[in-house]
Amino acid sequence: MTQRQVQLRLGFGALLAAIFLAVYAIPAWVSSPSNVGNVILSPLFWPYALSGFTGLAGLGLVFSGLRLEDTGTPVNTPSENPNAAWLRLAGMAVIMGLTMIALPRLGMVLTSMLIFGATAFLVRTRHPVTAVFCAVIIPLVLYAFFAHVAGVAIPQGNILRLP
Amino acid sequence: MSFLDSLAAGLSLVGNIESFLALFMGVAIGVIGGAIPGMSATMAVALTLPFTFAMQPITGILLLLGVYKGGIFGGSIPAILIKTPGTPASSATILDGYPMAEKGEAGRALGMALWASCTADVISNLSLILFAGWLASFALSFGPPEFFTLILFSLTIIAGVSGESLLRGALSALLGLLLATIGLDLVYGTNRFTFGDPNMMGGLNFIAVLIGLFAIPEILAMVWHPTAHVGTARSLGKNWVSFADYRRSFKSIVRGSFIGVFLGSIPGIGAAPSAFLSYSEARRTSKNKENFGKGEVEGVAASEAGNNGVAGATLIPLLALGVPGDVITAIIIGAFMIHGLQPGPMMFILNVDIIYGLFIGLIVSSVFLFLIGTVAIRGFKYVADIPKRILIPAVLVLCIYGVFAVNNNIFDVGVMFVMGWVGFMMVRYHIPAAPFLIAFILGPLLEDNFRQSMLMSGSDPSILVRGPITWFFWAMTLLTIIAIVRAGVRAVKGTPALSPKVKD
Repeated sequence: MTQRQVQLRLGFGALLAAIFLAVYAIPAWVSSPSNVGNVILSPLFWPYALSGFTGLAGLGLVFSGLRLEDTGTPVNTPSENPNAAWLRLAGMAVIMGLTMIALPRLGMVLTSMLIFGATAFLVRTRHPVTAVFCAVIIPLVLYAFFAHVAGVAIPQGNILRLP
Repeated sequence: MSFLDSLAAGLSLVGNIESFLALFMGVAIGVIGGAIPGMSATMAVALTLPFTFAMQPITGILLLLGVYKGGIFGGSIPAILIKTPGTPASSATILDGYPMAEKGEAGRALGMALWASCTADVISNLSLILFAGWLASFALSFGPPEFFTLILFSLTIIAGVSGESLLRGALSALLGLLLATIGLDLVYGTNRFTFGDPNMMGGLNFIAVLIGLFAIPEILAMVWHPTAHVGTARSLGKNWVSFADYRRSFKSIVRGSFIGVFLGSIPGIGAAPSAFLSYSEARRTSKNKENFGKGEVEGVAASEAGNNGVAGATLIPLLALGVPGDVITAIIIGAFMIHGLQPGPMMFILNVDIIYGLFIGLIVSSVFLFLIGTVAIRGFKYVADIPKRILIPAVLVLCIYGVFAVNNNIFDVGVMFVMGWVGFMMVRYHIPAAPFLIAFILGPLLEDNFRQSMLMSGSDPSILVRGPITWFFWAMTLLTIIAIVRAGVRAVKGTPALSPKVKD
C-alpha cells in the first residue's frame, strides 16, 4: 500500500461514510422530538454537521491523493510471511470473539487463563512452560486484586468458583 | 484562601505514606513500562488506570502522574541501548545516544539522560505551578462561547500536528467526535445511535475506548509480527557522566526544558517535536556541533530535556482549562472523571487541596525519578529480557480485567476489542489516534458549549465572536490551519518543513 493508495482509500472511505451517515444512519438511528423549532438545537444538527465535515475531509483526502505521485514505496514494513500474519490476525479475532462468548459462561478467571495460553501459542512463544505458568498465575493475581482489594464483582462462571 | 493555606491543605492531603508510595510505585512502573520496547508510556498509564479505581483520588492521580514521568524517561533507556525508542518522545535521543553506546559510553549517555530529564522535570513542574493558577483565574471569565472556541482551537492544533497530515488528523478528530455522539442527547434525552441497547445509552465507556485504542493495537501488531522489537542491548561501558559533562550541557538542558514547557503547554504538540526542536537548537548553538549525530553527550542532554520539559507543562491546559494536551493527559483526565473531579478553572476554587497536593507530588516525583532512574539504568538488562510473547498475553488479560472493572460490564470488554481493531486499522493507515481520543473526550463538551451558546443567544451565531477571547481563539485556529497547510505546500515543493511526509 503506497502513500497515494492510503490517501485515496481514506478519502473514498470518508466520503462513503459521510454519505451513509447523512442518507441512512442519522435519519434511522437518531431521533428528535417533533416539537424542536430550531434546527440548530435539534439532536440531529450535530451528527449532520459532523457528517458534512467528514465528507469535506474525504474530498480533501481524495484531492490530495490524486496530486501525489505513486512512488511504489510501501508505507508499512511488509511482513516476512503475509499469509501467516493474516492467519494469526484472524486467530486473534477468533480468540476475542470466543472471549465474549466465554466470559459470562466460564467466568473471567478461567476465560483469561484460556486466552492467555491461546495468545501465547498464537504468537509462537519460545517459553511454553513459562506461558502456561503465567496463564494460571496472572489471572489469579488479577482476580485477587480486583475482587478483594478493588471490590469488583468479577464474573465467576459455572465451572470455577473462587473465594 | 492564601497561598500558604492552599499549600498546607495540599500537604495535609498528600503528607502520608500512601500517597508517596503510590508516586514512587508510579515512577517505577513508568520507567519499566517506558523501557520495555513495544510498550510505551501511554500504554503504561492506560494499563495502570484501572488499578486507581479503588484508591483515593489524589493517590490514584499521583500514581498515574508517576507513571507518566517515569515512562517518558524510561523510553530513553532502550533508545540508547538497543536503538529502539521506548516511547516516540525518545526518538531524538537515539541520534547521539546510540552512537555513544557503540563507542562504549552507554552509561555516560544514560546518566546524562537521567540528569537532563530530572532538571527538565523540575523546571517543567515549577512552570506548571507558576502558570496553571494564573491561567485558571483568567479562564474563570470564560462562558460557553469562549470554551467552544478554545476546544475548537485545541482540536484543530491536535489534528494538525499529531500525525503526518492535517487531513488525516482532521478525519481522526471527526471520527472521535462522531463516536462521542453515541448515547442520549444532552438536551432532549433522545437516542442517538444507541440501536435500542441500554448499554449504549450512556455513550461508550471512555476507558474501554482508550485501552482499546492504545493497548490492543500493540497486541495486534505483535500478533502480526511476533519477532518485532527484538534487539541486542549494548553494555553500559566504564565511563559515567561527570559533573563537567552536566555543566557543559547545562545551557542546552535549560533551553530544552523551556522549549518543552512552551510546546507542552500548547495542546496537541507533545514531547517528540519538542525533543527534536531542542536537539536542533542545541546543535545550532553548540561549540561541538560537528560531533552531533556521532555521539555527543550534549545532544542526549538536549533531546531528553526537550521531551521531559513537556511532562509538567502538558498539565497546564489540563488543570487550568480542562483541555488535555496530549494522549497521556487525556487518560489522566479520565482518572479525574472516574473520581468525580472535573479539571478546569473551577477546580482551583473547589478542590484547591487536590491541586496543591498534585503540585507537591510532582516536585517529589523528580527526586523519585532520579533515584529510580539510577537503578533502572543498571537493571535494564533484566527488563529487556522479559519475553515479549509472554508479556503481550499478560497485557491482554490485564486489559480485560481493567476495562471490566470500570462498570462491571462485559459489554465494555467488547467495546475495547472493537476499538482495538479500529486502532490497528488506524495504525496501518497512518491515522493518528491522539486526535480521535481527545475529540472523543472533548466532543460532548464542544457540543454542549455550542448548544448553550445558541440557547443564550436565541440561535444567533454572532455570539461565537462576542469578545476578544473568542476573537483570539478564532484567530489562533485560522493561523494554525494556515501554518499547517503552508507546511504541506512547502513539502510538495520539496522545501524542508517540520514533519510533513504527506502533502495536504
